[in-house]
Amino acid sequence: MILFVANPVIKLDNVWKVYRLGKIDLPVLRGVSLDIARGSFVVILGPSGSGKSTMLHMVGCLDLPTRGKVLLENQDISAMSEDQLAQVRGRKIGFIFQQFNLLSNLTALENVMVPMIFQGSPEQERIGRASSLLNSLGLKDRLHHTPMELSGGEQQRVAIARALSNDPEIVVADEPTGNLDSATGEKIMEILMNLHKEEKKTIIVVTHDPQIARYSNQVVHIKDGQLALNHYSEEKILWSSK
Amino acid sequence: MEQQIAILKEYFKIAVKNLRTRKLRSWLTILGIVIGVFLIMSLLSLSQGLKETVLKQLRAVGTNIVMIMPGNISDIVTNLTGGMELTESDLNIIRKTKGVEAVLPNVFKAILVKSQDKTKTMILYGIDLRDSLNIYQDDMGMRVADGRWPVPGKREIIVGSLVSSDVFPGLKVGDKATIKGRQFEVVGILQSMGNKQDDMMAGIDMGFYRDITGDREGAPQAIAKIAMGYSVDQVAKNIKKNLEENAKRRIGRESGNVYSVLTSEALGSIVGGIMGIIQAIVFVFGGIAVLVGGIGIMNTMYTSVRERTKEIGILKAVGAKNSTIVMIFLIESSIIGLVGGIGGMIPGLGLSKLIQAYGQVHPVLYIEASITPGIILFGLIFSLGVGCLSGFFPARSAAQLKPVDALRYE
Repeated sequence: MILFVANPVIKLDNVWKVYRLGKIDLPVLRGVSLDIARGSFVVILGPSGSGKSTMLHMVGCLDLPTRGKVLLENQDISAMSEDQLAQVRGRKIGFIFQQFNLLSNLTALENVMVPMIFQGSPEQERIGRASSLLNSLGLKDRLHHTPMELSGGEQQRVAIARALSNDPEIVVADEPTGNLDSATGEKIMEILMNLHKEEKKTIIVVTHDPQIARYSNQVVHIKDGQLALNHYSEEKILWSSK
Repeated sequence: MEQQIAILKEYFKIAVKNLRTRKLRSWLTILGIVIGVFLIMSLLSLSQGLKETVLKQLRAVGTNIVMIMPGNISDIVTNLTGGMELTESDLNIIRKTKGVEAVLPNVFKAILVKSQDKTKTMILYGIDLRDSLNIYQDDMGMRVADGRWPVPGKREIIVGSLVSSDVFPGLKVGDKATIKGRQFEVVGILQSMGNKQDDMMAGIDMGFYRDITGDREGAPQAIAKIAMGYSVDQVAKNIKKNLEENAKRRIGRESGNVYSVLTSEALGSIVGGIMGIIQAIVFVFGGIAVLVGGIGIMNTMYTSVRERTKEIGILKAVGAKNSTIVMIFLIESSIIGLVGGIGGMIPGLGLSKLIQAYGQVHPVLYIEASITPGIILFGLIFSLGVGCLSGFFPARSAAQLKPVDALRYE
């Protein structure tokens, strides 16, 4: 059940992830293969415990497969050192989490600047880029507020700004609307949609909410650690695994 | 390089923010270091000052002076309290040793002195005014501050610098003092010799001393001045050899009688050694206090790593390398160490200065606080080092967290 894409930005090749709980091996991913094309908007759909978050962690270079290969721009991430992985996460990938995961003792502006510090951007550049990102996301008046002083939607917008701070090619989002009401969630999805359309970023969203799928041009269903369905929005007929 | 410094500056800001978010705990941890450094700095400064004071006193004694006492120097307490004395014939042997210019028996006794209708116990010294006054002045560092030296054969007395303030307040040159029913006139007050015992003494001519105390001959110790052109060490060895051979002859067999002949240089190294031990002890105790503070830092940092597991995961997800995480945590613990160090040093050195000031007003002990750039630098580097070291393992354990596990941590 492999779908070939010419020159994929991310390629999962028979990826297994097995957690060892005491003496029992618990396979979370069981031979997942998937190509993600540059500039696509992929939604990975699946119930909780299906292994979709684990898959996202591999795509985002946060975790390494037990078996199989994850290739990021044709490079095997298992062969990279921890520092190289950190570098890749910092430069090429932007993360958006369900819990927003902002640093609570920093202001919105500072939160957005943190990834740029790790890349060694000079201070003026950091401030300039971070504030323009926040401005474009409608947070002009919130630059110096700490996460505690922001609403959920605002926090997630700060998190999006942070994910974009180093202008990554890939944005991965783990249940980005999971902690938001539907109206706010829709706004967040629209922002991601714009990133995909206007800035040609590769967006990968993990969710259990089928409603989200309508934004994407590729939907991957995952169940019990295996791909169940992988189809493209422009196709009328869905591509099924079994 | 410039970029590196700029990045370090950012890490520093993050670290300070983190410490600020846990204000109470940060201050409590700092307090642990403050106490340790306070102890170590005050004790170190005082013991260093004590060492310098004592060595300065020793240096006032000429290098051509040797001190002779019966017994072994390592049993000095036994010798002084056990009544071992140099006999008159011992003194003569010293006098006859080649290269010895003069011998001063060092005699002293606690005695009641009456003046201004009060009676006080003082240490009375016998001074060989007739033959050796110049040695007291030139080689022993005794100088008259007010009045003059007593004239040999006259009932005159000279007293130490503290007598007129502590023993008989208001005593001045021309006052009378009675010792064993004989009246003496105070004719001189000496300059301070730098230690309380010497500065509270009274000195009279040797003849009167012998009469009053009844100690007609011998001395617990003697001081010999070595003539110019002789090797002090060699003459010191000869004195020792002559004394021990004489003792053997007198008793007729291997007597086991030993004598210690100390050059001022040897005395200096003995005192220096004792002071070194005192400092080492001080350092060990202060060090234990700082160690406890360091363990406090480690504890706080480990707790902090646990609490901030998720934060570490976030930082790693947005591109922080392991070295970045280590750096941030190390900077935090170093700040705790350094702030604690400064916080302990200021009151620590302040206290020793206070003790010094107190010593000048109420001379219980002459002690000078030694506050040198060296001590300050040592304190700073030491506390910074403790902070770094105790932060190292927590920082490493933070850096080793896997990003996924850290992110999942709630």
